[in-house]
Amino acid sequence: MFAYIVRRLLYNIPVYLGIIFIVMAALRVNDPVWAYLGKHATQERYDQLASDMGLGKPFVQQYGNFLSDVARLDFTVESWDQPGMKVGKLLTQCLIPSLALTIPALILTTILAITVGLLSAYNRGRWIDQSLVFFSVLGMSISYLVYIILGQYFGAFWLNEWGIGIFAIEGYPESLTPSSWIHYCLLPVLISVTVALGYDARYYRAVMVEESNRDYITTARAKGASGQKILFVHVLKNAMIPIITRIMITLPFLVTGSILMEMYFNIPGMGRQLILAINAKDFPVIQVFTAIFAALFILTNIMTDVLYAIFDPRVRLQ
Amino acid sequence: MIGPPLTPVSHRPHRFLAVLVLGLLAGPADVKAGLKSGDGEPEPALKVVHRPMRSDGPKSMDPVRGSTTYDNQAISQIYDTLLQYKYLARPPQLEPCLIEEMPTLSDDELTYRFKLKKGIRFQDDPCFPGGKGRELVSQDVFYSWKRMSDNDNQPKSWWLYEDTIAGLDAYRKVQNEAATFDYDAPVEGMRVINDHEFEVILVKPVQRFLWVLAMFQSCVVPREAVEKYGTRFGRHPVGTGPFSMAEEDWVAGQKMILKRNPTYREDFYPSEHEASDEALGLHLPAGKRLPLVDRVEITMFVQDQPMWLQFRAGKLDYTQVPSEYFPKAFLRRSQSLKQSFRDEGIVAHAVPLLDFIFRAFNMEDPIVGGYTGNKRALREAMHAAVDLYEFNDTFYNGLNWVYDGPIPPGLAGFPENGIAPNSLQGPDLKRARALLAKAGYPEGKGLPVIEYYTSNGSNIAEQVELFRRQLGKIGVRLLPRLLDFSTLIDAISNKRAQMFSFAWGSDYPDAENNLALFYGPNHAPGSNHYNYQNDEYDKLYQKIAVMPPGPERTEILVKMRDMVMRDVPYIGSMARTRHYLINPWLRNFKPSEDFYNWIKYMDIDESKRPNK
Repeated sequence: MFAYIVRRLLYNIPVYLGIIFIVMAALRVNDPVWAYLGKHATQERYDQLASDMGLGKPFVQQYGNFLSDVARLDFTVESWDQPGMKVGKLLTQCLIPSLALTIPALILTTILAITVGLLSAYNRGRWIDQSLVFFSVLGMSISYLVYIILGQYFGAFWLNEWGIGIFAIEGYPESLTPSSWIHYCLLPVLISVTVALGYDARYYRAVMVEESNRDYITTARAKGASGQKILFVHVLKNAMIPIITRIMITLPFLVTGSILMEMYFNIPGMGRQLILAINAKDFPVIQVFTAIFAALFILTNIMTDVLYAIFDPRVRLQ
Repeated sequence: MIGPPLTPVSHRPHRFLAVLVLGLLAGPADVKAGLKSGDGEPEPALKVVHRPMRSDGPKSMDPVRGSTTYDNQAISQIYDTLLQYKYLARPPQLEPCLIEEMPTLSDDELTYRFKLKKGIRFQDDPCFPGGKGRELVSQDVFYSWKRMSDNDNQPKSWWLYEDTIAGLDAYRKVQNEAATFDYDAPVEGMRVINDHEFEVILVKPVQRFLWVLAMFQSCVVPREAVEKYGTRFGRHPVGTGPFSMAEEDWVAGQKMILKRNPTYREDFYPSEHEASDEALGLHLPAGKRLPLVDRVEITMFVQDQPMWLQFRAGKLDYTQVPSEYFPKAFLRRSQSLKQSFRDEGIVAHAVPLLDFIFRAFNMEDPIVGGYTGNKRALREAMHAAVDLYEFNDTFYNGLNWVYDGPIPPGLAGFPENGIAPNSLQGPDLKRARALLAKAGYPEGKGLPVIEYYTSNGSNIAEQVELFRRQLGKIGVRLLPRLLDFSTLIDAISNKRAQMFSFAWGSDYPDAENNLALFYGPNHAPGSNHYNYQNDEYDKLYQKIAVMPPGPERTEILVKMRDMVMRDVPYIGSMARTRHYLINPWLRNFKPSEDFYNWIKYMDIDESKRPNK
């Protein structure tokens, strides 16, 4: 297993180098300094920013320097839009708030969606199935903004008026404790889950239904296996590959945060920061973020393959 | 922020749920982690002001980099200026802040003499020997002003100092062309007499000069901090003001925490007040040492709903009233506060703004800019198509003043009843279509889509839709670009924006300030965001800049107003009245948007907070 992981890592190094090459080239198609400063920027200011980022050097040298920074996790270059703020610090201080939303949302969504998927598949065509699918589709059909407005008003403000101040209207705690997490983060997490649940539940239901129609399930039934055993032992186990795939695809996006939630609930997360950086054409932040995101994507791909092998013996690590 | 508790919990759903339940039982009682000191012990009864900021806040705390009202709201709490506005006086008047008394002016009206108060210290900071803040001296004042002329600092308000202090413009030119900027090089008009006295020699009598000295861009900063922190200085302010801010206490775009500066000078609540202040008890704290609170928590709000709900929940001490919430708090007809709010002890203040709301054209743009007949006709056509009264009714509850020209109500040069003889106010679609055809775009044919930059807060998206619809009636198409305010300002400063919109609040109560927005040399990144250029106008501006107020000056102001209107560099104008609501535990608050260092005068009765 270890050798396999190392091998996959080595195989992916050229892929990563290629991605960084393409990203760096793409970000330089239009001069990033002019894009940031505008066409009427002064030459002095242009020279200063270009020099700070080493943009006057040959591209290959810039490529080498940036790779060296990435390899050493040296992101001490300063944000253009927030003078004095190092990109590394900017991104790390946004990471925890984002993860405080996205990890619990992913876990809750996955648990609930799998449960709904299993129940729906088990009761396919009955009222339970139809009801679950109906509410799942309803949940995902309503805009995030509606949930946010109603959630802030009823979930936070209105309950608070009744002396049940569980949720904050907005904000993020200075120190994250379980109770402060509930106060500030649970409401946006619940909103995320409500919207995401429909998509995942329908997908998992389809997977479960497909598994339920396979021959080994018929055999298990013929052998007298109980419905619960078929569902939780046979169907769920064999449906793990698509479940893992779906979860692992989501992982890199955990760090990008939940943009709408962060904007409306005033949570200083990565998604909000990334939007601010893109709007401001903050080249150093965008470049570093893209490099980190690409690395995360490759790592989760490798992890996905490893998990396939763990959960399904039919998948052999070559 | 801590990470570890979440990680193991997240792998064990049953423990995770247990934590949720325990947390629910615990409730939000210990949520106020911010009120704990570093070692976790609760601090004794701090007085905390919770105030909102309706934007994503400043990008830098360096005064010379600031230009917006939001920069002002933050920077004014940490730094001081030589002069300040009298807190309770209306209309605005100046008084000494860092200086002993108002400066004396020579007979030729060219030389001001200043005397600094003794014993004013910069806050303690590692940039000083031993970490102890040193005394502020005359050299600090000149150093701070010289920074405005250093292009490396990206000053956004150089126009305030341009053509004002003898030798400063030449100094700026020479130093910016030199290999290194020499802050020790002399400037003819900056004369240090001793550590506490200095003279400033002007190139000509400049009416606005003292007002400029009360603006946050003129705040005094210590050279040690600028040199030690470099670009980080914008995140690590070191001032002489009533509050200080640690770098970690500013989460950009989200919140900012200011703490009482323990070395703040002797500064007292004013006794001078208006008769109407007594009903609100604003005169009672006279003579008390400032600041009156220990801590200020500023929360940035890009959306209005959370701000309004936080105020109603008692989590904010005051709020501006967003227009869509006006009917909730006020009776629409009488515009008086509803009884239910009065019963809660909430007090309302109406603050008329020196306001100029417009939708502007970049006059250097090849499509919408230019001064030839057809270019002017295009802009005039768009102006004629727009119904500002519909904007006023739809988004401002009809409370705004729609007027002609760039001079806001209350200032000399404002047209009678807001209507100038050459008024462009619409809607007049017939005329608009004719003008559009004259511009070479009959029914909008051949006219490219126009990029329209504006901020993305509050109901701006809806306003943009209305703007699109109104212009769409004559075939003009808009491509909206909704940005954070600071990004919008950057786009405008860099002349990227073809059309744009925001509101200009006068820096001081003189029409000259608004007319400076169209003065050629102030082009972007200066305050002439329109990049308007008119030599005749510039000459008149130079004239009024040195003229004392009077009928002759007013006549020129009117002439300049009409010149701007003729060239149509914007569609406008409107002025707002800002309504504030103040919770009963916040004391001494008399809102003003002419200046922002008023937090030091605020007091809190913590016992009246609802969660106590």
